[in-house]
Amino acid sequence: MKIAVPVKFVPDLVEELTIDPGGTALDTSWLRLIINEFDDHAVEQAILLKERVGGQVIVAMAEAEGADDFLFASAAKGADQLIRLTGDFSSSNNHALARALADLLKELKPDLILTGVQAHNDLDGSIGPLLAEYLGLPYVGYVAGLTAAADMVTVRKEYAGGLIAEMEVKLPAVLGIQAAEQPPRYVAYSKIRQVMSTAKIEERAVASLDLSGGITISRMFQPEVTERATMMGGSPEEVADKVIEIFKELGTL
Amino acid sequence: MPIRETFWNIPHWAEVAQYITALITVIVFLYGVGHRILRWRKGRPEKRPGNFWTRVWLVVLQVFGQRRTLDETFPGLMHFSIFWGMFVLAIGTAFATVDWDVTHLFFNFQILTGWFYIIFELTLDVLGLLVVVGLGMAVYRRYFTRPARLQNFPVKALEWDDMYVLIMLSFITLSGYLTEGLRIAVTQPDWAAWSPVGNAIATAFLSMGDPTNQTLHLTIWSLHILTAFGVLASIPFTKLFHMIAVPANIYFSSTEPAGKLSAAKVEDGSGVKEWKQFTWKQLLDFEACTRCGRCQDVCPAYASAQVLSPRNMMVKLDEHLWEKTGGHTLHGDIVSAAELWACTTCRACVQVCPAFIDHVTTFVDLRRHLVDLGSMDKMLQDTLANLGRYGNSFGQSERTRAKWTQGVQPAVKDARRESVEYLWFVGDYASYNATLTDITRKTADVFQKTGLNFGILFDGERNAGNDVRRVGEEGLFEMLADRNSQALAKCKFETIVTTDPHTYNTLKNEYAWNGNRPNILHYAELLDQLITSGQIKFSNKLGYKVTYHDPCYLGRYNGVYDAPRRVIKATGCELVEMPRHGDRAFCCGAGGGRIWMDEKDIKERPSESRIREAVTLNGVQTFVVACPKDLTMYRDAVKTTGNEKDMLVRDLIELVYEAL
Repeated sequence: MKIAVPVKFVPDLVEELTIDPGGTALDTSWLRLIINEFDDHAVEQAILLKERVGGQVIVAMAEAEGADDFLFASAAKGADQLIRLTGDFSSSNNHALARALADLLKELKPDLILTGVQAHNDLDGSIGPLLAEYLGLPYVGYVAGLTAAADMVTVRKEYAGGLIAEMEVKLPAVLGIQAAEQPPRYVAYSKIRQVMSTAKIEERAVASLDLSGGITISRMFQPEVTERATMMGGSPEEVADKVIEIFKELGTL
Repeated sequence: MPIRETFWNIPHWAEVAQYITALITVIVFLYGVGHRILRWRKGRPEKRPGNFWTRVWLVVLQVFGQRRTLDETFPGLMHFSIFWGMFVLAIGTAFATVDWDVTHLFFNFQILTGWFYIIFELTLDVLGLLVVVGLGMAVYRRYFTRPARLQNFPVKALEWDDMYVLIMLSFITLSGYLTEGLRIAVTQPDWAAWSPVGNAIATAFLSMGDPTNQTLHLTIWSLHILTAFGVLASIPFTKLFHMIAVPANIYFSSTEPAGKLSAAKVEDGSGVKEWKQFTWKQLLDFEACTRCGRCQDVCPAYASAQVLSPRNMMVKLDEHLWEKTGGHTLHGDIVSAAELWACTTCRACVQVCPAFIDHVTTFVDLRRHLVDLGSMDKMLQDTLANLGRYGNSFGQSERTRAKWTQGVQPAVKDARRESVEYLWFVGDYASYNATLTDITRKTADVFQKTGLNFGILFDGERNAGNDVRRVGEEGLFEMLADRNSQALAKCKFETIVTTDPHTYNTLKNEYAWNGNRPNILHYAELLDQLITSGQIKFSNKLGYKVTYHDPCYLGRYNGVYDAPRRVIKATGCELVEMPRHGDRAFCCGAGGGRIWMDEKDIKERPSESRIREAVTLNGVQTFVVACPKDLTMYRDAVKTTGNEKDMLVRDLIELVYEAL
């Protein structure tokens, strides 16, 4: 089975986020990128699948600081092909990224495409459904485990309230991974170093990005400090009385 | 003239039979030893450099002097008695044989005559008694007092091995005395009184008459000879092999600094997956183990959860080398991941082992394989990922590493920008742990009040990697060490100082420094020097009654015991030692990466045991530490043991700060 895993980097929340003077984007000078956690799970799920049924895992991502390290680490875990998209992604959005990835995937013709179900910087929708749309393939999101057959996979989709649905999906298909069947594995540095000397990262130039369908940010700002909260104790009746009093004070009643 | 016919009452055929038995014994013995040596040679190569005479002296001291064995009184004297008694008896017997069948037979010349013979008889007679006493102590200990450390057997058959040795040695000694007694009963020499034990036995047999006694003598002599040769031949196949393996293991023990862990053996950095990947020295370690269990008694992992017993590990590993069937895998069947992760690398086991086994190196080599598989605790995995990404175990941005310096006046110098005398390598805990910021600032304050010209690396510093290495993540350790070395290479300084013993250890013993290692000091050493030179002058005498906890990586690993004690005394405190102190100090439980792992199935945390030990000291209400991790470990332990009112955990620097 040929499994493609398009992944992306997102801002690392360990660093304090600051807004660019323009007020519509993050200040990139202090920005540090990290793999989207769900994408990391998608890679793990792909490797698990490969270990179970055999096949080939392709990890692809847009170029970014640290991208090579991530790709090599994926290879050390068991990925077979590493692809880095090159081009100017500074003003990219998910629509544009999905289109660029779709072009690549049309060429690769994988049986299965696994990607993180979401990312914390998905401003214009998540990558998975967009990819499915551009490729004309079925999509199932919030997947936490799957079993593969010859031309179909059975996926376990998580719903709110602890419900799980099992559904069959005809291949090829795009799946949004919520969680791999086991947490992403640790890969020793010595292994990554070994891989660096043997594995190759293929470069694919993306000539121009098509941003259409994305959103326009009019203002980006830090959460505004609100009035402090007050905890009210006492019986429900007493609390209700207090609440009414407060509302009266505020003039809302 | 006092003399004796060595083969008195022994017919010629029996004497010849004895030499044939001896020849067979030698062949079996050599076959067995050769087999063992070939087994060791299946291990990986490992160089053991060092001075020949230093090594020989160590063997003399430890084997003939029984130096470490005597660290424990009862077992020490027990072993000392058996060792010296059996040693002299064996040499004496061989000597008498040579005297009779070589010098007398071929040259008609005997050494064992006259007064020399008398002294010889007396010595052997008395030393035989020493063996009896030693064996008696051993039987009493193993089968009556039954200390816990001799009880748990991962391999049941070894109980018989222990018993075999005691029975055989007892039989040899007693049958030897009987033979002597019967001879004296018949020959009744004038000098019989010089063999007090033999003579006493003789009196018991006098009434039986000469012919009976002579028959009995020949029978017992034959049994004595057969048993003695049997035991000699069995040396390579039983516990007795320690007579060869232990001196060899002591001879080949490492002369490198204790804090320098040997690098990963396999070229790609991965650890030991199967036994042939151990070095020959590690295989020798396993075979040298006598199962005495001293390591188990001092092991904090064993004390807290009883998952890991260093003794049982050695026993199981040795057994694994020799098993012919079963097809057991080293990882999983023989040693479990839980055992391996339980080790705090405190080195207490290595310190007490009379056979000079290096357990910790073996555990780390096995851990390296687990890391290679990515098989580890989730918390540890996250920590390693954080260390790789941010250079610290807290998963915080490296940009905030020096956040604690905000507001310190005058501003702490950036050693990357200006040259300093002391480069302070702050370390993760002192930098990031919010509850330690106050202590870190006090350290800066003391340094400044003392007029030290010091600076730090700010966000150029990374975790030094001591415990990353001991977790078994060699590649990550190398990366961290490279980063730090590069940052340090760009700075101008004379001495590195750190408050963290773990950092101190790896900087001092494991960083390459390209042959140009700077002076590296633990702050206890620096404070001690500054007090001695008069640069630090105290205006207050504190007058507290305190106890001090030796950090493993400062004490056992680097031998720094006196400096912190002198500092404590200089602040006017009275130091009361805990029962376990100095090289016997009990680990806090944090080392070797344990602080980054979930504590599962813990009965009593090592740190809690330590606090309970401290509160028994009369009038001591201050527990002084010299390690940032200790501060967090023991502050917790004081709370969890409910001793918050009775014991205050304080850093060494707090005493100095207060006394200034």
